[in-house]
Amino acid sequence: MPYRLPAFGIAAFCLAYLAHSAVKPAQIRFAEVAGGAGLKFTLRNAAAGQFHQIELTGGGVAVFDYNNDGCMDVFFANGAAIPALKKTGAEFYNRLFRNNCDLTFTDVTEEAGLRGEGYSMAVASADFDNDGFADLYVTGVRGNMLYRNLGNGRFADVTARAGVGGGMWSVSAGWLDYDNDGLLDLFVSNYVVWEADKEPRCGSPEQQFYCHPREYKGLPDQLFHNNGDGTFTDVSQSSGIARHTGKGMGVAFADMDGDGLTDIFVANDSVRSFLFHNLGGGKFEEIGLESGVALRDDGYAIAGMGADFRDFDNDGKPDLVISGIINDSFQLFRNPGGGRGFEDYGQRTGLLLATRQFTGWSLGMYDFDNDGWKDLFFGLSHLAELERYLGRDSALPNRVFRNVDGKRFEDASAGAGEAFQKAAMHRGVAFADFDNDGRVDAVVTVLNGAAKLFRNVTEGQGHWLALRLRGRKSNRQGLGAAVHIHLANGRDLYNQATTSVGYAGSSEPLVRFGLGDSARVEKLEIRWPRGGTQVLRDMGADRILDVTEEVSK
Amino acid sequence: MTAALWFALTVLLAAPESPGYVAYQRANALFVKQDFTAAQKALDEALGLEPKLVPALTLNAKLAMANNRFDVARRNLETALAVDPQAQYAQFLYGLTAYLANDMPAALSRFRAAHRLKKDEPKATLYLGLALESTGNTSEALEMYREAIRLEEAAGTLQADTLLPGIRLQLVLGRADAAEQWARQTLQLAPEDRDPRFEYARVLLALGKPGEAAAAAEKALTLRGGIATDVQIHYLLIRAWRESGQPDRAALHAATVRAMEAGGK
Repeated sequence: MPYRLPAFGIAAFCLAYLAHSAVKPAQIRFAEVAGGAGLKFTLRNAAAGQFHQIELTGGGVAVFDYNNDGCMDVFFANGAAIPALKKTGAEFYNRLFRNNCDLTFTDVTEEAGLRGEGYSMAVASADFDNDGFADLYVTGVRGNMLYRNLGNGRFADVTARAGVGGGMWSVSAGWLDYDNDGLLDLFVSNYVVWEADKEPRCGSPEQQFYCHPREYKGLPDQLFHNNGDGTFTDVSQSSGIARHTGKGMGVAFADMDGDGLTDIFVANDSVRSFLFHNLGGGKFEEIGLESGVALRDDGYAIAGMGADFRDFDNDGKPDLVISGIINDSFQLFRNPGGGRGFEDYGQRTGLLLATRQFTGWSLGMYDFDNDGWKDLFFGLSHLAELERYLGRDSALPNRVFRNVDGKRFEDASAGAGEAFQKAAMHRGVAFADFDNDGRVDAVVTVLNGAAKLFRNVTEGQGHWLALRLRGRKSNRQGLGAAVHIHLANGRDLYNQATTSVGYAGSSEPLVRFGLGDSARVEKLEIRWPRGGTQVLRDMGADRILDVTEEVSK
Repeated sequence: MTAALWFALTVLLAAPESPGYVAYQRANALFVKQDFTAAQKALDEALGLEPKLVPALTLNAKLAMANNRFDVARRNLETALAVDPQAQYAQFLYGLTAYLANDMPAALSRFRAAHRLKKDEPKATLYLGLALESTGNTSEALEMYREAIRLEEAAGTLQADTLLPGIRLQLVLGRADAAEQWARQTLQLAPEDRDPRFEYARVLLALGKPGEAAAAAEKALTLRGGIATDVQIHYLLIRAWRESGQPDRAALHAATVRAMEAGGK
């Protein structure tokens, strides 16, 4: 007698089949639209055959809404003449582009007063004074600048009064409220001691090349406490941050242990990475070694570049992804919670081998197909000095890896569109939804080349929800808030508010979720940085949700 | 100069008799004794007698490599290979100069040529594997490592250094079980060497045996030589002791690393 499915079995089978069809992954696709959008910027590093180390880094880009029109604008950091370290011409100016809300951009650098000074590297955006307008901190070689957004389209240089001018070679910076006082503090990653006239020479006279970072002395990072009156106090020593000398590149923040205090990760170049555990009381303990994120599995220090500190497997605990150079392999560390440190997941997710031949700069962990699993985008290009090693040009196409059920990463680049296959000397990447269509886009800087704007044109993507937080007790943008979403189908999704993503850049402050097939959110919990959990229920998807922090009377 | 490089350079040459050959032989004997000044003098004599003597040009290249003059080495090897493109050892050495100078396309091409000319020569096979791995061809690299091991086993000359790249690659590929046998072999071959003990400890940790891994790594820390640094071993020990439920012992190793960092080591 042939086997027959009972009636309910047939129904279940059909439902299962339909469900399987519905979750067929969407191919992540990007269209490159910078030129047509008027986003015309060329990053200049002033390289002229002298192999100055500063030429290799830089390229920071920030995405923020400076005029609060609901459309994300773009700021590019740029180089300067060497050895003068002065922006001697317009080709070296930093640039601010206003998003006209139709995916075209207008260069408003002059009216904003943001040409900049010196050899700029990176940019970090956040509303440090809680006035409702996002400000900018621009790092550089021996000179960082804080620009206060005046709210009228102009920015004022408030560096001197704020006391955050730096003086070292700073590569990245980020905003976090480490003491949960409702004011955003500033973390700066410093690279190496550098002076143009003391540049070491490497290679032979006939064939000089850029020196390895080991030829330069490392520097400590810095932490500035926001005093709430437009000034900052350098707490690098008292906090324990300056006790450690590294060669700082990307920085990323998250509350890794759920204690309500934001922790700090720093990717260092060719020396071990730092993980600063926030102990409270203004103190940090560096626990990179004990946590298993300091070095590669074999104890080798990779050339750490960018970092993102987010939950890739939706278990509610932020994980770490770090880019490096060729033969380093990019690193993925899973946070199992319970104070057990991190587990090296690079090999088992397929990322280790898949990235072994790449050199990565900025990166971001975003859900590009809105299936509920955060994917990975890497801005790639080898160092120019590696051309001989490679036997070809150092330019590389970027890569996007699709997160498959939080278990492995699958290189989805080949199907990501024609423009995505084009190699270039990519550096900085910042992420935002520029056209407010719910799909996360990416803006990418190119060393001595035109910046790219990858518009996400993925078809068949899932539903989405974005939160625009407004803190009242907490900092105005709610940076540091941890968000948990529960869907009717039982799925739990996690993310947090941060602008500190990747390398040398700053991404939109919105907290984004891909929802897959779910058109509604059953429950949403926000744990605000100053304490208190806010719960919202039964919300429709596919929109930006403005959430103001509840303050009990 | 690393032990591996020295070994590669001291592989004996087979050269035909020639007018300058006696001087060359004297130079080669002096080179093996590491009397480089006398070797260079004898070699100059040989090349004065016969400027295109391939073994002499090859030895001149080795001397240049020992002096870190890879440009001079390459010039000598190019001359030698122009005279005799079938000179397997010259092809191998040319590949080695390229590999050490991070010129992977040239390294690959020369190692392939050397391997093709003498398929039973394990060092060319091993280095071809290393260059392949450096350029991302892990499967072919692993095949070459296996072949190099097989060739040395067949010749009764298996060395721990030949097993190590294969162990490391197996770990990268997530095949700790496949690496284990090779790791045990390296320990038998070189029980008092640091690198085999360290790689064995890594394999044990990957196999979920943190206690055994910690014991092996503690032993590795007492051994000298090799390329595994103290920091690498301490880092393994931090994880192994933590996973063994002994965080205090892990903390000791972490403190040691931090003290080394503070001291600029």
